[in-house]
Amino acid sequence: MEVVLHLPVVPNAELVAAKAVETLGRALGMHQTQVEAASVAMVEACLNAMEHGGGPVTVRLRGDNHSRPCLVIEVEDHGRGFDPERAPRNSSSRVLGSTSKRGWGLTLIRELMDEVQIQSAPGKTVVAMRKYVESAP
Amino acid sequence: MSEEQIRIAKDLLTEGVGLIAAAGYINNEGGQAIADAASELMDQGCKTLVIDLDGTRIINSIGVSILLEILEKLMDEKGRLAFCNLTPTIAKTFEIMGLVQYASVYPDRLAARAALEGHAAV
Repeated sequence: MEVVLHLPVVPNAELVAAKAVETLGRALGMHQTQVEAASVAMVEACLNAMEHGGGPVTVRLRGDNHSRPCLVIEVEDHGRGFDPERAPRNSSSRVLGSTSKRGWGLTLIRELMDEVQIQSAPGKTVVAMRKYVESAP
Repeated sequence: MSEEQIRIAKDLLTEGVGLIAAAGYINNEGGQAIADAASELMDQGCKTLVIDLDGTRIINSIGVSILLEILEKLMDEKGRLAFCNLTPTIAKTFEIMGLVQYASVYPDRLAARAALEGHAAV
């Protein structure tokens, strides 16, 4: 089962992708808390892609059972790309009192998902994330 | 009303303690709606604010950054910020972004009220 979405850059388009995470996550038997964590990570990945990608965003979701059952999410944009190693890792101590409180997207994605891989080059960036299925109690 | 549109209600929880109930998507618009309600309650003399997120299941970092601004504003006034009815994911997001280091978290509105009563008249 795979879901592919092409999101236009319009307000709240990221919620369409979050809804798909909810539907597929439940179909895979994920606990509600895991579904919500994956939804927030998805929202952040979509917002980053829409802000920096300069055009429509492609989202792919599927269940994978290769080693352990998991939800796989890929968010692709076609912007200028970035170096993931140099991407900011925010901390609250840097943010409170600062005039800019943005830049939390990748930090949240890394914390909320089980695996994150970023491939980025000019013209194509793919953020691939996995959340392992933990069955509902 | 669409699911993503935030619904805000504000009230006095107890003397000097303002309550903001927010249900819906906390993005830039949702965060700003909460900030507007916070400003109104602070103008009415509330130095302690409780934000009840019962009914909120999805947030983004832009919305949470606006909540950080509310926290700073209250800290400048020697006030306090508290949250209740957080989902585990929202609680974790707040922890990652540093909100819970400076704000209190209570399981529900009753617990918040019991803890904050008497602390408001600063």
